[in-house]
Amino acid sequence: MHFVPISAVMMLATAQLTHLAPIDIAILLLYFAMVIFIGFYVKGSTNTSEQFFLAGREMSAWIAGLSFVSANLGSLELMGWAGAAYQYGILATHWYWIGAIPAMLFLGIVMMPFYYISKTHSVPGYLQLRFGEGARALSGVSFAFMTVLMSGVNMYSMALVMKVVLGWNINFSMWVGAVTVAIYVMLGGLRSAIINEVLQFVLIWAGAALIPILGLIEAGGWTSLKAQIIARMGDPAYMHMWSTTGSYSSNPMGVNWTGLVFGLGFVISFGYWTTDFLVVQRVLSANNLRAARLAPIIGSAFKMFVPFFVILPGLLALVLLKDSAGHLIQLYPEGSDMVVHHGMHSFNEVLPLMMVRYLGPGLLGLGITALIAGFMSGMAGNVSAFSTVWTYDIYGAYINKKASDSHYVSMGRWSTIVGMAVSVVTAYLVMHAASIMDYVQELFSFFIAPLFGTVILGMLWKRASKAGGFWGLLCGTASSIAMWLMVLHDKANIRFMILQPHATADTIMRVQAMAANLYRALWSWCICVVVTIVVSYMTQPKTEAELTGLVYGSTVIPHDGSTNIFEKPIFWAVVIATILFLLNLWLW
Amino acid sequence: MTSQPEAPHPQPVDPSTEQSLSIWFFVGVLMLGCGLIIFGQGIYEFSHPGTTVLANLHPAFWWGMLMTLFGAFYTIHFRPGKG
Repeated sequence: MHFVPISAVMMLATAQLTHLAPIDIAILLLYFAMVIFIGFYVKGSTNTSEQFFLAGREMSAWIAGLSFVSANLGSLELMGWAGAAYQYGILATHWYWIGAIPAMLFLGIVMMPFYYISKTHSVPGYLQLRFGEGARALSGVSFAFMTVLMSGVNMYSMALVMKVVLGWNINFSMWVGAVTVAIYVMLGGLRSAIINEVLQFVLIWAGAALIPILGLIEAGGWTSLKAQIIARMGDPAYMHMWSTTGSYSSNPMGVNWTGLVFGLGFVISFGYWTTDFLVVQRVLSANNLRAARLAPIIGSAFKMFVPFFVILPGLLALVLLKDSAGHLIQLYPEGSDMVVHHGMHSFNEVLPLMMVRYLGPGLLGLGITALIAGFMSGMAGNVSAFSTVWTYDIYGAYINKKASDSHYVSMGRWSTIVGMAVSVVTAYLVMHAASIMDYVQELFSFFIAPLFGTVILGMLWKRASKAGGFWGLLCGTASSIAMWLMVLHDKANIRFMILQPHATADTIMRVQAMAANLYRALWSWCICVVVTIVVSYMTQPKTEAELTGLVYGSTVIPHDGSTNIFEKPIFWAVVIATILFLLNLWLW
Repeated sequence: MTSQPEAPHPQPVDPSTEQSLSIWFFVGVLMLGCGLIIFGQGIYEFSHPGTTVLANLHPAFWWGMLMTLFGAFYTIHFRPGKG
């Protein structure tokens, strides 16, 4: 998610940043040996479709929660957002806080009971139960298509990063990554992917947390860092999260608070965290309703501290990243003349540059292993979700409806291999036409906001009809694509999306692609909701009996087994929401 | 599979203790292995100082020690056959 501004990651850097010592290679090999071992070890307990696709629904709240947050903690994200922090300042934190936490809490408290009680295997599966085959087919096919493409993008990004940072051959990195992921996901399914995501989560914290710690020591603490950044940039907006978002032209991102609150905080964030099956699948693996509700809440607590090792390194680099002569290194936008023709570093290189600055042999190996684990986990997450949606919502729904359970498990294993093969092809396509990477990342944004409109109305509004759900989803998606094409054709058209038809050229220029995405998501969601409501009132609703277990008001939510206040998910959701509020106030 | 098959009753168990090797055991072994390697490098750097910024604080030594302790605790606490 999150529209990572990492198009053609470091595509044109000229020389490798560093090299690994034997001790670093040892750490990398230890990680690879462990993930392959886990694949073979777990294979014995993935014999049924429930075990292969949903890890047997046996995961505790902590494991499901860590896996849930880790599925989103890919290296593409880490590097992209560290670069965004360097470029836009502390505003980038919004994508981790208001752009994630409220949605995660909402998933745990409001939506999870419906996903869990309906016993659905996937989000398209829920749409089938609620809105019928049309909505499932639309959502299942688009999701399957996107996941294999995203897996390919991850694969190519990993190979490119390894080439730029370490000088490794691109083909070697891609194939090693692809074969390793294919082996452990094919053997162990979701269970194997989840175990590796938990390992990746720990590795990323261990590998990346030292950079902000050492950075803060070098900068002389947080207060001193703030003062240095404001002095260097000459603009306090770099260190404020909300106070400069009153207008498009008073902050480095060109964003208004309405876009942040409604576009990012509501539509995009809720769309991604509550309806993207890649992350929801992790929570569906929980072993009971309370664990399923607690998992996203636990995930949100960890998510809140991710800016510490993603955003902070980007900010630290603004004042600490210096060359051997002690001069500040200036980073430039991807694809700019300084990067392309003068061999300067780009924004997206900020995290590897900070790693090289502080991490010596051993620690550097740990950091590089964490990055590789993040990329591989991204591939595995996409491929395991693809395998589930393909087998349950496409193959099992439309091609072979009456096969045995073992046949579907075999199909799951084979579709993993096919998914990885398609990913490899995608990776090679991206290698030859870097702009494909931008388009693939945009694909997610086409579907996710309208999908949230359809799912949330399906869960909370009994009157939503089968036809309403389908047409709402279709129109929302089509409008999102239309808006994207409109801006691609002429950036000036963005003035209609921000509701300022007479906006000046300067205002239009300041609205960055990320801000434009917020408004596109918001409008496509609104169109989806309006069409769903209008069509629903024109068509026959489902009966009360058909809605049982699927919709608020027709479903008795069973008690989740909490015996005291500290076991109640709502208690922890309130605690986390309070901390989030205080953090925003602190950095206002 | 057009309509979704009845899922088996979820098992009220934590896989971290149900299987002979727990997820947390894997976490412990990985952290212990990495921690020992980095800790060893940290000791070596007392006699052969590193060239990175703030190498004088011996981050490899302290971070390696922390990871080793964390990994050892998880490895021992979730070792196979315990409980």
